[in-house]
Amino acid sequence: MSQLGNVRLQGVVKRHGETTVLHGVDLEIRAGEFFVLLGPSGSGKTTTLRILAGLESVSAGQVLMDGVDVTGAEPGARDVAMVFQSYALYPHMTVAQNIGFPLKMIGTPKEAIAQAVADAAARVSIGHLLQRRPGQLSGGQQQRVALARAIVRQPKLFLLDEPLSNLDAKLRLETRLELKQLQRALGVTAVYVTHDQEEAMTLADRVAVFMDGRIVQVATPREIYSRPAQVAVAGFIGTPPMNLVPALWRDDAVVIDGVAHPVGARTPQTREVTLGVRPGELRAGGAGTEARVEYIEELGDHCIVDLKAGDTRLRLKAEGQAGVREGETIHLGFAPGAAHLFDRASGERLN
Amino acid sequence: MQRSVPRRVALFAVAGLLVSVWAFPVLWALLTSFKTERDVLAYPPVLVFAPTLANYREVLFGSSSILPNLWSSLVVSCWATVLTMLFALPAAYALARLRYPGKRASGFFVLATQMLPPVGLIIPYYLVLQRIGGLDSYSGLVTIYLTFSLPFAVWLMVSYFEDIPYEMEEAALLDRAGRLRTLWYVILPQVGGGIAVTTVFVFLNAWNEFLFAVVLGGNKVRPVTVAMFNFISVEQTQWARLAAGAMVAMAPVILVGLAAQRHIVKGLTVGAVKGGGRR
Repeated sequence: MSQLGNVRLQGVVKRHGETTVLHGVDLEIRAGEFFVLLGPSGSGKTTTLRILAGLESVSAGQVLMDGVDVTGAEPGARDVAMVFQSYALYPHMTVAQNIGFPLKMIGTPKEAIAQAVADAAARVSIGHLLQRRPGQLSGGQQQRVALARAIVRQPKLFLLDEPLSNLDAKLRLETRLELKQLQRALGVTAVYVTHDQEEAMTLADRVAVFMDGRIVQVATPREIYSRPAQVAVAGFIGTPPMNLVPALWRDDAVVIDGVAHPVGARTPQTREVTLGVRPGELRAGGAGTEARVEYIEELGDHCIVDLKAGDTRLRLKAEGQAGVREGETIHLGFAPGAAHLFDRASGERLN
Repeated sequence: MQRSVPRRVALFAVAGLLVSVWAFPVLWALLTSFKTERDVLAYPPVLVFAPTLANYREVLFGSSSILPNLWSSLVVSCWATVLTMLFALPAAYALARLRYPGKRASGFFVLATQMLPPVGLIIPYYLVLQRIGGLDSYSGLVTIYLTFSLPFAVWLMVSYFEDIPYEMEEAALLDRAGRLRTLWYVILPQVGGGIAVTTVFVFLNAWNEFLFAVVLGGNKVRPVTVAMFNFISVEQTQWARLAAGAMVAMAPVILVGLAAQRHIVKGLTVGAVKGGGRR
């Protein structure tokens, strides 16, 4: 039943021959949580998902589900369901047969299958398509069939591998919302892989950010946005991404091009840092660092100002009108609390 | 699609020419099968003659009836086909899917057996069958047919299996189907076209086989191809009976072809529509 669904990865390592895809992943996913694995392609997030599904073996480490070691268990023995990026619907079966297939495989009586199929189909509003074949459906409808097939058995764990990536932008937004509602309604644990940070932010209860086969941060979307643990995470999250500038941290301020900006945190000794400031937190005016306005991108309710300070490109996000003109030279500043400080060498967060 | 008139005419002309080249021997044999031996040998050839069913009567119910031989052919071909498919399907699936050391080499080996000229194998096969008492027996001839139909079928089926995305199987595994039921419920139905094509080819190869049958068969196992050979003797060739025999022998083949036609066309075009979305 779907009451539990607690998952733990302990020191999971995955090697393909000489290359190591995952360097010791530790992760705890709580029951009922919508958990997103976020990262650029090749960062190991899909491999992690496939390890959870049992489709991929581990080179070292353990996979625990509700406290039971399932590291070596076959996919079918794990009580997990998965929605594939390509949906992987069975093309020779009708929609009803596709959805009912997992139940048929565990020997559910015909009437019970029909009932469960009707329920699952209704949940994703495809009740009218049951007699069609996947080839006669649109991409969005196929996606719903894949969802219905995954929820029909009421699994402990629901795995989704970039399920929205084949849909057009408008449909993606709608489905995203429905997906979240569905997960809440079923109370099932969901693990969702995506490279789209916006998807991760909107869907997740918690996010694990993957970089180069390692988890660099596990936190709520809010925290990942407001306190990224790594300079790489800071650069990956947010649209447009965070401005990252090399700077010197001295006492309670960072120095850029000779101009000191207070950061509200003190350092015992002067050190080289990467300063991060979100485009929305940059302020024009006052006696800050000098920058030239290159372009202004009007986006209706807000606009993005492209700036050049010395050799560094910066972006400023302004609500409503920009209040500056292209070619103008302005002075930039930010509130002390808006500064993110990262070690220049290791990229670790300092404040 | 709109085509200009001259283009269409040219297309029909070429198509007509090709069809007549392919069809001519068959039609001529059909004509011959209704002639008397005298009409057959008439020169110049006659197109208008009094048709007779005597040849059919003779090859079906006469002293040189080929009915037992048709039965013989049917037994050999059916067994060869059933056994071939039974072994070829799992083998091809394994070759297409499982990763194991030497996979590449074993795939090539399967194909390499097709490169041996059959004539070179007759004598070794004869000696082997003689040693184990397999000459002039159904099991012997079927076994020999398997040696070349099996690699052929495996090789053909591998490409059909390879067309099925891995994710389809992974989905089935997660749906708790297990390996065997995944094969049965998810994989095999999708290669139905390929199975039809391969079955027909294997059956036709066995049905039309002559060389091994004439050497390794005998009085007990004498397929129809060998029996028809008896109409050709040193003194004379009974062309009309030969033609009638050929027509009778062709009938099951044509039936099989017609029955499987839809699948064959579908099977042959698999992979041609990859860009066209999910099949």
